[in-house]
Amino acid sequence: MIMRALFRHSMLVLVGTLSFCTNTFAADGQLKIPEFAGLADKAAESVIITLDPSLLRLAARFLDPSDPEDAAARAAIAGIKGIYVRSYKFDQDFAYPKADVDMVRKQLGAPGWQQLVQVRTRAEQQNVDIYLLVEQERANGLAIIASKPREFTIVNIVGSIDMKKLHELEGQFGIPKLDLEDKK
Amino acid sequence: MSKDFEQQLHEALRPVDPEEGFEQRVLARIVQERSSTRRKVTRWASVALAASVVFAAVLGTHEWQLRREQEGLEARKQLLEALRLTGEKLDVAYQAVNREAPEPADDGSGA
Amino acid sequence: MTRARAGESSAFAALVRRYQRTVYSIALRMLSDRHRAEDLAQEVFLQLYRTLDGIDSDTHLAFWLRKVAVNRAIDRMRMESRHDNEPLTEAVAVADEPTEDDPLLHKRMADLVAQLPPAARAVVVLRYQEDLDPTDIASTLDMSINTVKSHLKRSLTLLRARVQGTAIVEDIR
Repeated sequence: MIMRALFRHSMLVLVGTLSFCTNTFAADGQLKIPEFAGLADKAAESVIITLDPSLLRLAARFLDPSDPEDAAARAAIAGIKGIYVRSYKFDQDFAYPKADVDMVRKQLGAPGWQQLVQVRTRAEQQNVDIYLLVEQERANGLAIIASKPREFTIVNIVGSIDMKKLHELEGQFGIPKLDLEDKK
Repeated sequence: MSKDFEQQLHEALRPVDPEEGFEQRVLARIVQERSSTRRKVTRWASVALAASVVFAAVLGTHEWQLRREQEGLEARKQLLEALRLTGEKLDVAYQAVNREAPEPADDGSGA
Repeated sequence: MTRARAGESSAFAALVRRYQRTVYSIALRMLSDRHRAEDLAQEVFLQLYRTLDGIDSDTHLAFWLRKVAVNRAIDRMRMESRHDNEPLTEAVAVADEPTEDDPLLHKRMADLVAQLPPAARAVVVLRYQEDLDPTDIASTLDMSINTVKSHLKRSLTLLRARVQGTAIVEDIR
């Protein structure tokens, strides 16, 4: 219940509960992500994205403001300085170095990182951890680490984050927004 | 059930023929475009020679612009993919949270 | 195709006859309007006529026609921004061939596909009308395979739920 409230009203709850947060020495929002050398060759599918500030600016210039998807993306990245993604899928269980993924998780114990959601799904052996870097009541970094036996995904977003706009993206990328509030 | 639904979808999206005479309409447009192009070529032939000198100088800039455009489009594609993945993982967490215990009864009791 | 490249109009006409159904159908499913679909289909063949020298095989030709048709349709939809709240009357008219299956269900499904946003609609049309696999769809739309699969999964979930009239939350695992 607390997790649900935190997630649904993430920005409001954070602002309301973090008045005591005065840590001005929180870590930079960018995580040290391992190279995962050679993993792309072993993986059935891999996504490796590194968008530093200059590439983000370049990408933003090619977003079409008249296109709903592009406009939503532009709104979501306003204030963001970098986006780093490593995502791999394999044909066998645990073909990836779990220790390397855990090493990334450990960095989220640094000052400033606040756990937003932790999901552990026994049936699928799925773990999802979502953290926000909060500095002076602002979210300046986002980290998502999701893993299953045959895949893992690390997403690190650096800069000023609007969680609501990020989550609303699923309704924009040509993907119909799933109406999860509908009840029979 | 899933296969049956997909089979129905496949049948619902059967290809459809255009209206009768489509082929003739396409060929008519081609003929029209060919005659229009010929006139344009005659009109501009005298200008082309003078323009070729300038064109060579511009070509270098144009190639750089093309490269930059390709880089920009690739960066855009990566950005959209990154945001899609982010939204997907957020959604996994959101769904899991929504599968938690139902909302408390609205009886004024605490959490 | 060699004769068409050499300028034989009868050969080019044969290419048009062979592929008009594919090109027109893609345009129609995307634009949900017969007139705009025909206009777009004509433009695709015009463009083919201009660039035929660059096509080196029948396989390449089929790929090229699908790619140009669907991407032109997406561009046009975005320019016109008509995919939101678009009237469904044209989509209703599409299913005009008799079938032994439920025509009302097929009509409903076609209507729902016509309501999908451009990229999702393109993926669904290429998969279920053109029978392309995700890899080919990814090449045609210049998308990653993961994006294609995501579009398919989410669109099918939504379509199935809408057709069955059930809440989507119950279908999510």
